[in-house]
Amino acid sequence: MTTPIVRVNGLTKSFQNRRVIDDLSFEIHRGQTYGFLGPNGAGKSTTIRMMLSLVRPDAGDIELFGKSLGAAGQKVLQGVGALVEEADFYEYLSARKNLRLLATMEGVPEKRIEEVITQVGLTEWADEPVKRYSHGMKQRLGIAQALLPSPEFLILDEPTTGLDPRGMKEVRELIQSLHHRGLTIFLSSHLLNEVEQICSAVAIIHRGKLITSGTMDELIRETDLFVTEVHANPQDTAREILADLSFVRHLEQDDSVLKLNIASEDVPRMNAALVESGVEVSAIIPRTRLEDYFLEITEDSREHPE
Amino acid sequence: MMLLRLTGNELVKIFGKWRTYLGFLAIGVLLPLVLWGISLGGGEIERNTVRQLRENFIVVGSIFNGFLATYIVMNFLWVHVPFLIALVAGDVVAGEGSAGTLRIYLTRPISRGKILTAKLLASYAYTLMIVLFFALMSLGLGSLWLGTGDLVVRHEGLLILPKSMAWTRFGLSFLFAGAIMLVVASLCFMFSTTVNNAIGPIIGAMAVIVIGLAIAGIPIGFFEQIRPYLFTTYFDLWQQAFYDPIPWGEISRQLAILLAYTVGFLVVSFLIFTKKDILS
Repeated sequence: MTTPIVRVNGLTKSFQNRRVIDDLSFEIHRGQTYGFLGPNGAGKSTTIRMMLSLVRPDAGDIELFGKSLGAAGQKVLQGVGALVEEADFYEYLSARKNLRLLATMEGVPEKRIEEVITQVGLTEWADEPVKRYSHGMKQRLGIAQALLPSPEFLILDEPTTGLDPRGMKEVRELIQSLHHRGLTIFLSSHLLNEVEQICSAVAIIHRGKLITSGTMDELIRETDLFVTEVHANPQDTAREILADLSFVRHLEQDDSVLKLNIASEDVPRMNAALVESGVEVSAIIPRTRLEDYFLEITEDSREHPE
Repeated sequence: MMLLRLTGNELVKIFGKWRTYLGFLAIGVLLPLVLWGISLGGGEIERNTVRQLRENFIVVGSIFNGFLATYIVMNFLWVHVPFLIALVAGDVVAGEGSAGTLRIYLTRPISRGKILTAKLLASYAYTLMIVLFFALMSLGLGSLWLGTGDLVVRHEGLLILPKSMAWTRFGLSFLFAGAIMLVVASLCFMFSTTVNNAIGPIIGAMAVIVIGLAIAGIPIGFFEQIRPYLFTTYFDLWQQAFYDPIPWGEISRQLAILLAYTVGFLVVSFLIFTKKDILS
């Protein structure tokens, strides 16, 4: 296994004697789009702030590109682009001037400013003061500033918050296109479908503690958070066949539906096995229990406020 | 090189805000008005000033000129300039904290120390620009409008400085005034690193200055004991440029105290800023 781009190890942080991050550990590998899921107040932004040295951990360490952030300091952030929460800029300056301020800090050439403005679709508005921008445009400018230093690793903290559905779609498509260009992306979100659509791996935190982490396939295989529904006839035969398939886990029957855990790449094999045995398959629907799970832990938060 | 670039950035930000121009506007509008008022009452000022001289000497010609007007302006307005400094120096870190822009800057691979140094240098540059503008609008405009001549100042009675010496003395006095204002800027800067709103540092710095000046002016035993240790006691350091002979020993001592305060304010600023959690 190659050295992870990010290694978070035993991270702990308290504010005014209240522990907000509790012994948090996870790893992000090159090329991953890593989802960081948790309800509001779970500690996602605090973790991100620690990854960017905005907040100092009480204990634990963060390694970026194999170097300790605590020991090597701010220089380690070379190669990292970040949008932390809302995109805040100097409102009285244009997008271009805001980006130029950041570019001059790191000696980024002027040409790169134009590239990122084009990349996020702000060309027409680039010379307007940011105070005239909509929320969505500010978020896109936020992503532009994160992309400015041509990072290898991009941290996006709730980038679609406050956007309308169209804006959300645009930002998600942009994130996917960045991933296809080879960027490793860390996406914090409280939106399950967003993480499911975009991410190849995920860590779920609640009250500052890691609940689970791994690749989507690992989570599918090893947890019951992802479920595939199979509508088949006759159901009993289908159940017997599925029970014999080694790649099918946690098989259960719920009324007229069979529910099971299966990796997405194994679905065609399962379908073939059923059809070859004379079973009529009317639908195979991937579903997630993440939502139920989230509702559960969110409800738990309400009942036991911190 | 990077520090220069960063400082340039900070100046772009400072001069992109309208509040930066308030100081220049206030000086640009008020000083000509005050000079105009002084010119109207020039005869009265002259009579009051030379009354003592006339008892022993024959005074020929007028002692009222741009130099005297500038000296009077500095006496009355110099204590108000810190407010103009605080408007910008108090905002330079705290304003960015409240706006959220600080967090974008601090996620770059540049140390907090460098970023803070750039902000400090930009604040100092603004402070010195304000002092220079004050000098231009008082001494420059005053000498053009009211002419130049010998300068009569009060120090152990009345002291007449010849015209040839007055320019140098004003130059020195504005240098000392600049040093005083750099201490004020450092104080505002320190407050600016402690909070995340722009108003707090301005009020905090002004409160310290007003209380310090009050202590310097109230003749109570306890206040007199602590007075030598307060930087506000030396706000009138600029006046010593007009003494004859110039008390270099005393000036050096006072400058050293001001420098010690400046270093103290900056050490606290850097300690706070380099260790603080950025939560805004």
